[in-house]
Amino acid sequence: MSLPFKPASTPWLLAHEMRLAWRGVSAGRKSSGVGSIIAFAILGAFALAGGVFLAIATKGHEVPITPFAVIIVDMVLAVILTLMLSTTLAAAANALYERGDLDLLFSSPLSPRKVLFVRALGLAVGAGFWFVLPATLLLTPAILMGHPHWAGVFGVLVAAALAASGFGLLLAMALFALIGPRRTRTVAQVMAALIGAAFFLASQYRNLMGEKASESLFTRIALDVKDGRIQPPPFADLPLRAAVGQPIPLLILMAIGLGLFLFAARVLGRRFADAAAATQGAETRKAAKGPVRDFAAGAFRATLRKELRLISRDAALLSQVLLRVLYMVPLALVMARSAAHMPVWALAGPAAAVTFLAGQVAGSLVWITVSAEDTPDLLAISPTPIGVLNRAKLAAALIPVAGLLVAPIAVLAWYAPLAGLWTALGSGLTAWTAGLIGVWRQKPGKRADFKRRRGGSFLSALAELFIATLIGGATALAVAGLLVWAVIPLIIAGALMMALRRSDEQIAAALRAASATSN
Amino acid sequence: MLWGAVLTEALVIRGLNKTFAKPAVSDLDLTVRAGELYALLGPNGAGKTTTLRMVAGLTQPDAGEIAIFGVDARKDPSAAKALLAWAPDEAMIYDKLTPLEYLEFVAGLWNIDPRAAKAKAEELLTTLGLASEARRRCEGFSRGMKQKVALAGALIHDPKLLILDEPLTGLDAAAARLVKDMLQARVDAGGTVILTTHILEVAERMADRIGIIAGGRLLAEGTLEELRSRAGEASGRTLEDVFLQLTAEAQA
Repeated sequence: MSLPFKPASTPWLLAHEMRLAWRGVSAGRKSSGVGSIIAFAILGAFALAGGVFLAIATKGHEVPITPFAVIIVDMVLAVILTLMLSTTLAAAANALYERGDLDLLFSSPLSPRKVLFVRALGLAVGAGFWFVLPATLLLTPAILMGHPHWAGVFGVLVAAALAASGFGLLLAMALFALIGPRRTRTVAQVMAALIGAAFFLASQYRNLMGEKASESLFTRIALDVKDGRIQPPPFADLPLRAAVGQPIPLLILMAIGLGLFLFAARVLGRRFADAAAATQGAETRKAAKGPVRDFAAGAFRATLRKELRLISRDAALLSQVLLRVLYMVPLALVMARSAAHMPVWALAGPAAAVTFLAGQVAGSLVWITVSAEDTPDLLAISPTPIGVLNRAKLAAALIPVAGLLVAPIAVLAWYAPLAGLWTALGSGLTAWTAGLIGVWRQKPGKRADFKRRRGGSFLSALAELFIATLIGGATALAVAGLLVWAVIPLIIAGALMMALRRSDEQIAAALRAASATSN
Repeated sequence: MLWGAVLTEALVIRGLNKTFAKPAVSDLDLTVRAGELYALLGPNGAGKTTTLRMVAGLTQPDAGEIAIFGVDARKDPSAAKALLAWAPDEAMIYDKLTPLEYLEFVAGLWNIDPRAAKAKAEELLTTLGLASEARRRCEGFSRGMKQKVALAGALIHDPKLLILDEPLTGLDAAAARLVKDMLQARVDAGGTVILTTHILEVAERMADRIGIIAGGRLLAEGTLEELRSRAGEASGRTLEDVFLQLTAEAQA
């Protein structure tokens, strides 16, 4: 389908970027994507219903410009900005390495300035889309039913997206200058994960610091402001005033966002092009030194070793795993505190959370080792039975999970040995079931598609989540001392696993069918 | 007699059929003798790669029989796969592994003794001019270097039948010569090689026998001289003349 703009114009180029971004999102799905459409439609309907409820509840009321409201909006905006920045930083770093695409554009008669401006604009649109879309559903009823000035929220979101993309570009370029082309992508991805988790870690700082408080940092600040113990800093009310449609604050925020964006896109544009060119050949590393390690014996060991090597060398994967580890740290500390000061049933919730997270990490790693195999044909032509390969890949995925679980479970076992045992068993079982589902229901994919690993297998993802929840629930019940009740969710999980099970022959047949389709 | 007297026949294909949206391979019969270099030629979309993928066990045939050194590849695929190696035009390697690590993995898949595999890997990398790159990750390699790593992978388990799909794609002149010499040495030592190529000069100079395929059917097969006489071409005409004449006749 041709684009409805004048060729080589900025809108035409932006539409091209958006088309590629959309196809990136929808790639790997079945042609119709009916499951995804239904899921989005249900979520959209819920958001719209929430919007209608909001509109009715706020009819005739205005948002008060009080310190409490100001600080709430500021904190929400801070969370949105960190999430947007996380997205744009990773995307900006990746853009440097998309050689084929940039080479084509730079070798065309289009001005490099225009190319880079549009690419930066694409980052902003990509970052803003996922916030503007739900905001539209939530706020449109209220805007239509007496609060037209609340449309200012969209202005705030656009300003935030522009600022985040500008800042993301600046950060990517700073990393490039500081640590060079080879490490930039890895470090940027890890940084993006850290920034993405920053608001969560900040909220949990009291747990991290060992202060005995039950509320998060954000709740504490909000309460302190409400009670007048602290005052918001100057200009802190700008986001709230802009969101409720006051023109001057809205213009100021838009000017800040646009200014940062234009500075990054225009002033650093040429440097970005040079940096992109410098990434060519940047993947070359120094050869390893020292004696050559003995070769692994047999297909299982060789496959296990190969998968562990690939996992440890995958920056995008490591950043995602790191993100989940970051969520586990406060959880482990909460568990330690609860175990030391509270009755054992208080550990049920954190134990269930650890169990659930273990399944999530295992599911991701199994997807990488099993479905995202780089050379499926090499494995298919080898005489090694698929069962051996799958077992090696499953083991490779579970080993890092075991490593991640050691700390929280050891802490727990120190204070409450039985709770530690149930959590270890629950976590191991969730990881194993998630791994088995990944093996049984594998669908060939690409490593680069890691973030949307379930694009083609919605039901498997749902089953994996459900089973992890069931086992998490069983673990919580066991930790709380309700052992008999814990059996019920385990039986349901077992029945589901039996329904999902596939033999090696069935897996091989499914893979052949997928291979025939792709050829 | 498909499975009789098979020891002198590296590959026997009988009545092979495969249809995707349209027939890709139709009633194909083909025999490759042990110890020969067989070149399978054909225009784009002729069915060469589909045929070789079926031999390698990557694509299930709709009908037909495939025997590799007498082993029924459809009934006992593992035993058949143990005898062959397949190297497609797109190198099947891992960017994040070094050539040595890659060869370790491939050797493991074929269950080769680790010590022997390590020695063989180092020998192959040296022969292919990759010794200095043996412990550098493949992600920075040129296409030709990646092809050489993949070729080393195909040879690490010393296959009795080596199948190569466009093995010279992306190689510079020196590397192409090196690969051709390696293949010739392999055949001289009693190995069997099947290759597809668009470079007819390679087939003309290297192949013991040549098969020409179009529309999924074998049009002609034999030595260069036999193909010339089949096409009614005078001695001295090139393989290109013969190839173009036979494929044009098939399309007419």
